[in-house]
Amino acid sequence: MNFFIRLLVDFAYFLNSSIWYQRKRRFFYNILENDEYKYKKYFDIFMMFLILSSVSILIYEVRRDAHDYFQIFNNYVISFIFFVEYILRLWISSSISKVIIHQNEYSDLLERDFDLWYVIKRVTRDKLDYILSVKAIIDLLAIMPFFHELRLLRIFILFRVFKLFRYAKSFQTFSSVLATKKFEFFTLSMFAAIVIFVSSVLVYVMEANNPDSPINTLYEAIYWSIVTISTVGYGDVVAVSKEGQFVAVVVILSGISVLAFTTSLFVSAFTEKLEDIKESKVIQDIAKLQRIYIVCGYEEIAKEVSKKLIRAKFNILVLDDSIDRINEAKKDGLMALQYNPGSVDSYKKLHIDMSKQVKAILCLREDDVENVYAALTIRSINKDIYILSLLMNRVNKNKLLHSGVNEILYDKEFVGLIAKEYIGQPVAFEAIHTLRSEYSTVKMEEILITERIANTITYVEDLGNINFRIVLLGIHKKSSERFYFNPINDTLLEVGDYLLVIGNYMFIKEYIKHLSKKTRV
Amino acid sequence: MKKTNALIFGYNEYGFEIAKNISNEYNNVIMFKLDENDDILYKNLNLTIESFDLSDDWSTLTQKYDLKDSIVFCSLEDVAKNIFLTISLRSAFKDLFIIALTNNNESANKLSMAGASKVIPIIETTANLITDMLKKPIITQVLHDILYEDSDLKIEQIKILNSEYFNEKYPADIEWSRDHGVLVISVTHEDGSSEFIYSSKTKHHLIKNGDIFTIVGYETDIKEFEKLVGVKDED
Repeated sequence: MNFFIRLLVDFAYFLNSSIWYQRKRRFFYNILENDEYKYKKYFDIFMMFLILSSVSILIYEVRRDAHDYFQIFNNYVISFIFFVEYILRLWISSSISKVIIHQNEYSDLLERDFDLWYVIKRVTRDKLDYILSVKAIIDLLAIMPFFHELRLLRIFILFRVFKLFRYAKSFQTFSSVLATKKFEFFTLSMFAAIVIFVSSVLVYVMEANNPDSPINTLYEAIYWSIVTISTVGYGDVVAVSKEGQFVAVVVILSGISVLAFTTSLFVSAFTEKLEDIKESKVIQDIAKLQRIYIVCGYEEIAKEVSKKLIRAKFNILVLDDSIDRINEAKKDGLMALQYNPGSVDSYKKLHIDMSKQVKAILCLREDDVENVYAALTIRSINKDIYILSLLMNRVNKNKLLHSGVNEILYDKEFVGLIAKEYIGQPVAFEAIHTLRSEYSTVKMEEILITERIANTITYVEDLGNINFRIVLLGIHKKSSERFYFNPINDTLLEVGDYLLVIGNYMFIKEYIKHLSKKTRV
Repeated sequence: MKKTNALIFGYNEYGFEIAKNISNEYNNVIMFKLDENDDILYKNLNLTIESFDLSDDWSTLTQKYDLKDSIVFCSLEDVAKNIFLTISLRSAFKDLFIIALTNNNESANKLSMAGASKVIPIIETTANLITDMLKKPIITQVLHDILYEDSDLKIEQIKILNSEYFNEKYPADIEWSRDHGVLVISVTHEDGSSEFIYSSKTKHHLIKNGDIFTIVGYETDIKEFEKLVGVKDED
């Protein structure tokens, strides 16, 4: 027995530390359960396609004979895929190896024997919890048509439709919104149930002995009551006695209130949750993005910056605690959340890896206190992220630097510098201004020396920029972090260096293509 | 454009930063306060501070300063007052060079219509700089150093006086960096039109006397180039 337990524990540790096994497990978890995983939607679409084709074949078969291929596809292929999915979901629902390891460490700590019975109980309970969940039961029933010889089981194909709830997020949103009004729906159902029960019994008592009445059984009375309270009123079963008609009036009036109450419940549930739904949609969208720029505050400069960055196809997320400014950002077509940029919680709620997904954070409130607070908050979460901040009052510069901002932009000083340059050399100033303008055809561009380019071009003399009518202003060397103006011909080019070039935008594009295409002979 | 006086209307941080940056370029830098109750913020800066109002009476100003030899900065924080000041100055002095600051594009247009010679839209300019810093950080840094910092690398305007030196060549045909150690960015012709070197495959203009070259290079190379072909343009 001890040998078996040892083997079991060793195997659990092996699985837990196996990169291959954990990678596979994480992959299946992501594809089946993780809504933020970018490939999950393709899996969901595929499963929805299977469900809809299965139901289509069932409908087709009602009056016609489907081809054998369809039968095989429906009964074996789809069922098998669903079966595999069921097993995978059962596998990832809980980790057996973790339970074993936990029990082993627990027993080691307390110097007790390994409790195998506890492990079996715990694992069985975890797996049963999953097996008995509504979604898993639907999954299981959807596999049943596999036993197609039992014709009755074919009707279980319809359970496949319920599986749609798993794959279509809107269904899940719908049920989660309705779940917020559980108590109200329960109260309403109780009220309706009581009215149906009392009215059915009353109408049965009053009508059952009347030979002219179509209501002869309690079942017919309940049917009449439900048809009446729902305000459908088919008219196939009606109360004929005066007393029965009086009950009908009461049920009709109750029906109106039940209907009105139900409608208002739906509306209020959705109205209350609408902002939450939109917010979680933004968070989901953001989680899938890379190179995100977070703009803290949405005032005049932030608006202009966001507009320009969006035009350059940057991924922007605006955070601001003012609902008016956030509404304005949304109106401008930006992803925006009414979160306080100065709160750690705001960034936690985003569910993103700040180091990997966020490229820069721009503190653009026109208020130094807010910018210092936001910068400190961000720095407390991540030490390395690039933060750029506006400075509104020169006296606060040190405070911003102290809070960990990488780059400070003091617009007043910048205006002073512009004025100086403009009055000194207006022609040169306008030339540079035009080069920087996004509407100019002549541009200044940075060209990164990639490994591919470095493989074919070793020295500046090999660049051949003159043939493309492009001016090489200089090179930014990665190794020394310095800019070298007008480099000499035998300057070595290395991966990570940047060429700074000036020329017609089309020529530059052509030139970049040429550099990347070039292969060493 | 070189003048003797710089008159800065607007006793605020923008005005102060302009005064600080241009004080070496002018003999007199005067800041004008519109509101007498303003706090005295910049008393330690050795600036001449005077008051003015929007009454359209510029006699005191003209008595003290030669406006033909002055450049004016309109940097009042109130946009409407700044526009009013600009239009008032333009109607009184037709040839005055006025640089006006503004917050948004709408008032930038109004300032141009009011007669400002050059408008600096603060928000757009700041936003452009932030965007450039994110999109092209290296270029932005290099240009910032060339334009605004005390770097060895300079940008200069050179007026061509010795076009014979180029022997009837087109700007795009000369290997500027190899021959002179400088790079020519653009050429502004006597008729006011300008073109970027290499901007198109067609060659439009031969180098002529009076052309203004915008060049980038080290100070010594620029001086050498200047000696060969012309003078530093400071008009």
